[in-house]
Amino acid sequence: RGLRTCLISTNLRLIEESFRGIKQAIQAKDTLQNVTILSPSETLHGMKALDVCCMTKNLLAFYVDRVFKDHQELDPRILRKISSIANSFLYMQKTLQQCQRLCHCRQEATNATRIIHDNYAQLEVRSAAIKSLGELDIFLAWIEKNHQGTSAA
Amino acid sequence: DGAAVLPAPQNLSVQSTNMKHVLTWSPVMVPEETVYYSVEYQGEYESLYMSHIWIPSSWCSPTAGPECDITDDITATVPYSLRVRATLGSQTSAWSTLKHPFNRNSTILTPPGMEVTKDGFHLVIKLEDLGPQFEFFVAYWRREPGAKEHIKMVRPGGIPMHLETMDPGATYCVKARTFVKAIGRYSAFSQAECVKVQGESLPL
Repeated sequence: RGLRTCLISTNLRLIEESFRGIKQAIQAKDTLQNVTILSPSETLHGMKALDVCCMTKNLLAFYVDRVFKDHQELDPRILRKISSIANSFLYMQKTLQQCQRLCHCRQEATNATRIIHDNYAQLEVRSAAIKSLGELDIFLAWIEKNHQGTSAA
Repeated sequence: DGAAVLPAPQNLSVQSTNMKHVLTWSPVMVPEETVYYSVEYQGEYESLYMSHIWIPSSWCSPTAGPECDITDDITATVPYSLRVRATLGSQTSAWSTLKHPFNRNSTILTPPGMEVTKDGFHLVIKLEDLGPQFEFFVAYWRREPGAKEHIKMVRPGGIPMHLETMDPGATYCVKARTFVKAIGRYSAFSQAECVKVQGESLPL
């Protein structure tokens, strides 16, 4: 039983709005155009419903524990948006923690998560963080697709 | 960085109603001078993972008044730390930090304002526009013994909404409350408002 049984009741629309506000500025700093970290084709979009909850939990942790920390932002306008996203992800993590029993991690999700971390580790840390931030729309679209219940908020 | 000679602002507190959050403090008084203030915030993420990072508030870095609308800065349902300092020319006070972090789930939700009207035989409601985070649950019934209560979810406010086509001579009542999904809370119901329809009431 996938994410649908462990719904994240979060206002994705506001997170998407925050990201749209910085997407151009962030992606402009990404100089490695032929490289991807979330690699949608193999990793995320191949996920089965059973693995959605675990994958969501793992990717939230990837961003909260790694990406947002590795990225150093000086522009207050961009900093505010990233802070908004980071704190929203923190809230989503807490919501998911309440579903711990329903959020089993099978090998497929563990392997997919390792691919993402390996992709990240192959790049210089600042470049990896910028690229992952620029790919947030991939992750947000994936959550939206697997989590239709909350998008109405 | 100017020497900290100005006294730091005191008595910081947050007033929050219907998801509008205002930080206030006691002004720093300097005769015949205008003291400015800067407000900064840290979400739980920053305090856990990047405690050296404080973010200038959207509207109050700097500001002249002893208050700051922080609604646009508080964008997640997690605790936020807030701090303020005073500035006068090159003089800068120490930071004063809100004693307890603020979480928007503590906001006061008031029953919504509403206008209940008749458009011929149509029962129409117009609800207070409280912003995109608000949904409204409207309960309405025909005032008679054993009446059944109907519920409708309305979003957003500020737009007249048709509830029911009424029978001549009958009286209909309406009440409403708000729901904010971001914090998972409801307001209390408003007082019921009733309208009576002209004409002879139909035989039962």
